[in-house]
Amino acid sequence: MAAHRLHFSVLLTLSWRNLWRNHRRTGIMLGAIAVGVWAMIFMTALMRGMVDDMLNEGIHNLPGHIQIQHPDFLDDPSVANSIAEPAGEFEALLQRIESKRWATRIRVPAVIASERETRGINLVGIEPAAEADVSGLPELLSAGRFLESRKDSGIIIGAKLAERLETRLGKRVVVMSQDPDNNIRERGFRIVGIYRAKLPGLEEFNVYAARDTLQQLLRIEGRVSQIIVVGEDYRDIEPLYRQVRQQAPADLQVRAWYEIDTYLATMFNMMDGFVLVWVIIIFLALSFGLVNTLVMAIFERVREIGLIQALGMRPALILYQILMESTLLLLIGLGLGNGLALATIKPLESGLDISVVAEGMAMMGASSMLYPKLTSSDLLLANSVVILLGVLTSILPAWRAAKLDPVRALNST
Amino acid sequence: METRPAMPIPGFNLITGVKQPLIMLLALSMGPASGIAQAADAPQPSELIRAAMEHWRGVTSYSEMTMTIHREDWQRSFSMQAWTEGDKLSLVRVTEPRRDAGNGTLVQDQSMWTYSPKINRILKVPPSMMNQSWMGSDFSNKDISKSTDIIDQYDHRLIGTETRDDHLVYTIESVPHEDAAVVWGREVLVIRDDYIMLRQEFWDQDGILVKEMNTTEIALMDGRNIATRMRMHKLEREQEWTEMSIDAIDFDVELSANLFTLSNLRNPRQ
Repeated sequence: MAAHRLHFSVLLTLSWRNLWRNHRRTGIMLGAIAVGVWAMIFMTALMRGMVDDMLNEGIHNLPGHIQIQHPDFLDDPSVANSIAEPAGEFEALLQRIESKRWATRIRVPAVIASERETRGINLVGIEPAAEADVSGLPELLSAGRFLESRKDSGIIIGAKLAERLETRLGKRVVVMSQDPDNNIRERGFRIVGIYRAKLPGLEEFNVYAARDTLQQLLRIEGRVSQIIVVGEDYRDIEPLYRQVRQQAPADLQVRAWYEIDTYLATMFNMMDGFVLVWVIIIFLALSFGLVNTLVMAIFERVREIGLIQALGMRPALILYQILMESTLLLLIGLGLGNGLALATIKPLESGLDISVVAEGMAMMGASSMLYPKLTSSDLLLANSVVILLGVLTSILPAWRAAKLDPVRALNST
Repeated sequence: METRPAMPIPGFNLITGVKQPLIMLLALSMGPASGIAQAADAPQPSELIRAAMEHWRGVTSYSEMTMTIHREDWQRSFSMQAWTEGDKLSLVRVTEPRRDAGNGTLVQDQSMWTYSPKINRILKVPPSMMNQSWMGSDFSNKDISKSTDIIDQYDHRLIGTETRDDHLVYTIESVPHEDAAVVWGREVLVIRDDYIMLRQEFWDQDGILVKEMNTTEIALMDGRNIATRMRMHKLEREQEWTEMSIDAIDFDVELSANLFTLSNLRNPRQ
């Protein structure tokens, strides 16, 4: 046992000193590892942040984690495909869910007109009290007030739409749509609030009014287009989903967010695999440098290795020594890389402004602020890939060094 | 001109549905000759208007008119035939120019259909197109089809009375209710005591005059006084206007029962 510890400390000293014999080469290699590790962690954090933002935003805009609607609603989102407001046992279940976050809404294509312009919109009838929990709309309000009750006679439109209609807060607009019998229904609304969406496209599209007011306008008293349920975390909605599915009336369609928006779901599922691939690609680039460094170090020391072998050092210990050398190199590199990554991510966590390319990002469904998100699992993945695969790739040169024939090695020039 | 105290005229609503050129052209352009005397003696507009509406109800008409659309660098005219019955039914068919002949518009209360022989299709005008222009004119589909029940959505106020060419002329300000399906801030109507509307102004909610319609010609036709030439003009576009003129009109004509039907819109049988 004592001998082992002695071996270990001797080997450690040997490899540590060997490492700094050519400090420039080691320095360059350390730099390469540090930058590689930094790139792995930093870029992963950026991507995680972006995808997380897209998912959150996407789910907010759906909105909700689970939607309940008429089976034909998706094909034809008209008031004809409405459902009854939840009642009886189903309502009791919704009241019981842990998050307490659910709401009904009406969604119908409509036309909005000001004195000078007319535009097609998506008219949404909301329950103002529940809306904050479901879509976070009240937070987006940039001027005016939020709807006060289900019977509020005001309307909330996006800033961009207001601009297009050449109207503004406090003025009246006319909203036109159809009732279930295809009769034209229309009504004047006063603009009581203006909101700013993170994605400019939505600002022009979604217009919010109180639910009961719309039910009356569209002649669908007691009916809604959708029931929206929001769980605690979008990553973990299965139990809730099953529960709602069992309790919902059989003729309704219940769908989770990943079924509603398969693009979001794909993104969500792809992300872990994507991070792994990214880490490995960077590692592959790194590994060539690492192997080259080790091979060079061994090549320079052929005579020396022959000598210590001749003096009685066993090949296994030579193997260990070289592996230790590479491990030390990797550990220092990892330390530097992690430090660098943390040092760059932390100050950016409050948001990185990428509004220069915001238009393109908006097309992808991401907003113009990027919030890097460092997760411990990504950190662990990057570090373990580097150290494990790093040591693995070092085995070959180390093994070759251990295999050297002492006589030949001593005689080589 | 002396401004009288504000006076609400609820019954008047029915006529201020002036968003309806056809009905408007006819309803507002004609009236009982006796109206003048009544108005002069006892200016009770609501009574007067109710009488006018009664007079109008059930009246049928056949007219030939010309619509002229003027733009800065072009101008075109359509000749049209129009049939109306009461204030809910109307049918318009283009006769000239030839390439547009046969194009028809049928209005039944709030619904509106168009037919074009070139595509041989009847289209129901959807809500999304109600604010678009009717045959490229300065009238919107909504202007053409708007049913008169929208008029209950205004508060009317008499803001002036004056005498012009032996006629009493009323100026009425109509402010839409809070939930009215009207985008205007207010409308101002200038109406003669024989129900001919001389002028209609559309003001936006900031108090800017957006468009106006003026009667430029009044004539006696088939025994009634008619506004025979009216011009719709958007003030923001100085060079653009649409003019409707009535070339001939017959009242109380026999109309066949199938006149205001979709099949007749497609296959003219009158």
